[in-house]
Amino acid sequence: MFRAALKGMAARKARLALTSLAVVLGSAFIAAALVLTASIQATVDELNAESFAGSDVLVQPVAPESRGDSLVQQGVSAETLAAVEGTAGVERVGITVAGAINAIGDNGKVVGGLSPTMAANWADEAHDRELREGRGPEGDGEVAVSAKFADDAGLGLGESVTAYSQTTGQTAYEIVGVYGYPGGRDSLGGATEIAFTTAEAQRLVFDGDDAYSALAVHAADGTDADDLAAALEPVVGSESQVRTWEDYNAEATAQSAELTGLVGNFLLGFGLIAVFVSVFLIANTFSIVIAGRLKEIATMRAIGAGRSQVVRSILAEALILGAIAAVVGTAVGIAGGAGLTAAIANSFLDAGQVSLAVPVSAVIAALAVGIGVTVLAALVPAVRASKVPPVEAMRAAVKADRPITVITVVGTIVTLAGGAAMALGLTHNLGGDKAALAGTAVGAGLVFVGVTMLTAWLSKPLVGALGRLWSWNFAGKLGRRNAARNPRRTAVTASALMIGVTLVTATATLLTSVKASIEDYFGEAVKAELFVTGPAVSELPASFDPAVMDDIRAIDDVDAAVEIYYDIADIDGTEQYVNTTTDFGGIIDLFSGEFAEGGTGELADDEIAVNQSAADQLGVGIGDAVAAEFTRGTEAHEFTVAAILVDNENTDGWYVAPVYADEFYTVKPMMALVDVSDGADIDAVTAAVDDALAGEPEVSAQNHEAFVAEVTVFFDFAIIAIQLLLGLAMIVAVIGVVNTLILSVLERTRELGMLRAIGMTRGQTVRMVIVESVTIALFGAVLGIAVGLGLGWALQNALADSGVDVFAVPTALIAGYLAAAVLVGLLAAIAPATRAAKTNILGAIAYE
Amino acid sequence: MPLSTPPAPQSVQQSRGLQQRSRAAVTATGLWRAYGSGEAQVVALRDVSVAFASGQFTAIMGPSGSGKSTLMHCLAGLDTTDRGSVDIGGTVITGLGDKALTKLRRDKIGFIFQQFNLLPTLTAEENILLPASIAGAKADPAWISQIIRTLDLQERLSHKPTELSGGQQQRVACARALATRPEVVFADEPTGNLDTRSSGEVLRFLRKSVDDFGQTIVMVTHDPSAAAYADRVVFLADGQIVRDLDRPTADSVIDTMRGFENRVPLAGEAA
Repeated sequence: MFRAALKGMAARKARLALTSLAVVLGSAFIAAALVLTASIQATVDELNAESFAGSDVLVQPVAPESRGDSLVQQGVSAETLAAVEGTAGVERVGITVAGAINAIGDNGKVVGGLSPTMAANWADEAHDRELREGRGPEGDGEVAVSAKFADDAGLGLGESVTAYSQTTGQTAYEIVGVYGYPGGRDSLGGATEIAFTTAEAQRLVFDGDDAYSALAVHAADGTDADDLAAALEPVVGSESQVRTWEDYNAEATAQSAELTGLVGNFLLGFGLIAVFVSVFLIANTFSIVIAGRLKEIATMRAIGAGRSQVVRSILAEALILGAIAAVVGTAVGIAGGAGLTAAIANSFLDAGQVSLAVPVSAVIAALAVGIGVTVLAALVPAVRASKVPPVEAMRAAVKADRPITVITVVGTIVTLAGGAAMALGLTHNLGGDKAALAGTAVGAGLVFVGVTMLTAWLSKPLVGALGRLWSWNFAGKLGRRNAARNPRRTAVTASALMIGVTLVTATATLLTSVKASIEDYFGEAVKAELFVTGPAVSELPASFDPAVMDDIRAIDDVDAAVEIYYDIADIDGTEQYVNTTTDFGGIIDLFSGEFAEGGTGELADDEIAVNQSAADQLGVGIGDAVAAEFTRGTEAHEFTVAAILVDNENTDGWYVAPVYADEFYTVKPMMALVDVSDGADIDAVTAAVDDALAGEPEVSAQNHEAFVAEVTVFFDFAIIAIQLLLGLAMIVAVIGVVNTLILSVLERTRELGMLRAIGMTRGQTVRMVIVESVTIALFGAVLGIAVGLGLGWALQNALADSGVDVFAVPTALIAGYLAAAVLVGLLAAIAPATRAAKTNILGAIAYE
Repeated sequence: MPLSTPPAPQSVQQSRGLQQRSRAAVTATGLWRAYGSGEAQVVALRDVSVAFASGQFTAIMGPSGSGKSTLMHCLAGLDTTDRGSVDIGGTVITGLGDKALTKLRRDKIGFIFQQFNLLPTLTAEENILLPASIAGAKADPAWISQIIRTLDLQERLSHKPTELSGGQQQRVACARALATRPEVVFADEPTGNLDTRSSGEVLRFLRKSVDDFGQTIVMVTHDPSAAAYADRVVFLADGQIVRDLDRPTADSVIDTMRGFENRVPLAGEAA
């Protein structure tokens, strides 16, 4: 049986090669995901191991308990350093001072953009630095910069660079050295860095305190790291934590493992979708191959082959095919994973050297999935084939389409059930918000599966309607008829694209709706026309000198301009969001806020205002006392609640008088609202405000549109990431369509021969196949878009209470998907159309 | 195309056949065609020269491997020739490119196949109009309805091929072949897949289209009774024309074939 299977396969090489492509892709993605994850992990581990390499024990400040601002540096004090140095068994202590700062590049903008420049002391032992030019900083006005910084900033040796931190003003430094890192790297993980003298680094990071970010303790010969760590614990006290280098490294490794695991799961998800879609393709191909072999199978049955032998023979074929494809896929995946690792390591991590890791589990998983999926997908067609009665051998093969009644009925039931679940969820009839959301999500999933089952039934009217687009010529008409000829096959082929398009459309619709909702909200709720802000996602909050506010207020057509300071403070033992501003009443007005109780628009130094739900959370009301300690504050202050605000996302939080701004984490304002006179030219005012901000590199004036675009930039990234998913679905879809078309062309050889004989040109033949191909692809895309929009709408409705109250259709993206579908159709048509055009007329029409 | 008189008595038919041979619809001159090379080479046509008169029904007969199908394929521009030339309606087709050949087949040739070869996605009527549709031209409605009436297909026009019997399918195929008023219709074993009754219907129609419409028909067959419907039978053996019989009857065809079978070794020796 096995030999017969092998021989049978050899006779259908091309067909099987196409089918196996889908399996190859699935296996490859899984292997690539696992190899990438392991390799990135290995590479990152090596990078981690370099950090503080050679030291035995690390003393670091205790990380603040999530005050939302781990950037606030609480250093290890000089006393602790002295105590550590005096401890027996300590040979030497390396000191590190490091923190985020802003540096201004050649173009007057802050270097780094989304991630800040790091400041370090030149003597720092956390990383080895290799001077490339010049020397290390010797005076407080000198700095050495990393090669990456020099590159990004456009500054070099001998030039001046301006840098400043949250607490210091802009200072100019002379670049006296440019350095890299071991292995010829330009950066550590892509970050820009400036090395200062220790004293200057302390001024920037610790506001001049004699404090350190880390102490790298080297043990004397014969002293065990664990023993030393234990000995240091009482010396250091509760101010700082003591860890052996081993523990420190293990923790760093575990942290990065979490992140790489996330990336790996993302890729694995892609792989599983590819596998899921390939199940359709493989099952489809085996069904068609078997349909073409009915006579052969019937003959085998007639001469005495048992039904189980037929099944075994087909499964043997699937096993061989799956094994070959899985091996190829795994190899491709490992190579791809290695390439991706190198790309990521070089571009994002700037790792220099890449460690390739191929876990055995990756090989086993990729092979198992590839083989398993192929055999499983072949099972149904195999069993069906075994039911062929021997008498079929004597009859001319009549290929009556199997009815699609059962799957249509089941699909309808599933779709209706899903619709009902969604309706219940959306109308809040499931009790509880979570249940409602879950009901909607499950319902959406059911509708998705149901519609997938209904594709065959839907294909008849839809393919016909779509095909009318091409009816202007006869070849197109024939192509359309061919596409509608076998609903089951067309449906399975189109499903591959439909699944991908549904997922991306649903997600894109939801994200677009979220974006539109935010835009809508800003348009209605914020009276101020302009915002003065920096990048919303920067690790180091953008801020500016409050002195510019007077310049802004002096601009013609500016009715009001109010700056805002933010802090996360400790109020009665809880973490709270606190604002201050020189014009409390103005800010409430510009954000369309309202007072529920009290409120004069002014706050005395011992008064505090808060929104209703935050007040309820702490159980305080007008006249009650609260104690607040700010991020940079040394003690708590007593306040009396003087006003309660109506809950409003834009004005929620606590408000204190501006005298406390000095104790805020960001001592400078982070944002300002500018109210422009009605009828004034907003663009002109924007330009004038920008002029006033010329000396403030971190912020700029933005109108609502630009501000919302900045706030929602994350969604744009997410939408782009999702398009990658579509890219994958498209590759699989192309394979599926090619597969189906080649099989169709083979099956219709006689027809093609006749058409060519009676005068159809090669061009017309090509057009006919292209139309069939594009119609199938468009059918998949249209269905996917329809279902995706439906699901996106449902999810938007489910989230309406959370503020996603606008339904927006991503029209440009949808147009893109349709274009992509046409492209899929065209690409997929190349090989089959060429083949059809080359049909040997004589061979096709000759009888026997 | 001259419209001819209704069915005529045998004597008239003969004289008309002779008279019309003067204007040839299809002429082959010195055709050679070989397949394969070296030891395995098979010469399918050896220096075949033959002309098919306009408005005449010619049958090509011969045993399997005699080259009768190859001859028809070469005449119809479906196969290339090694030497010699083919002229259809005044156009020398030998050496034409695929595009020109395709256009020629579309405009000047009609085909009837043994397997009917109708497009299953199209209705009977759409199948009949297929050649015109491919050409992007409008078929002559009066002519089409005349053929449809003659073939008694009025009731079947909206049927798909799968809903038609074999005989009905072949009648649709006949209508398709004649729809563009081609210079010549090539029929390749048109009755090979039909029962006796349907065969008779198809052959009577072919006869009638020659007699009534002046259609030129070249039919490959191995059935002597089918050949008897023709005006002339050309016998092929080993790639050569060995007999040319006018006014055949089933009996005379069978006799010729018997004689010709006996001659095969002689023919071989002669070659």
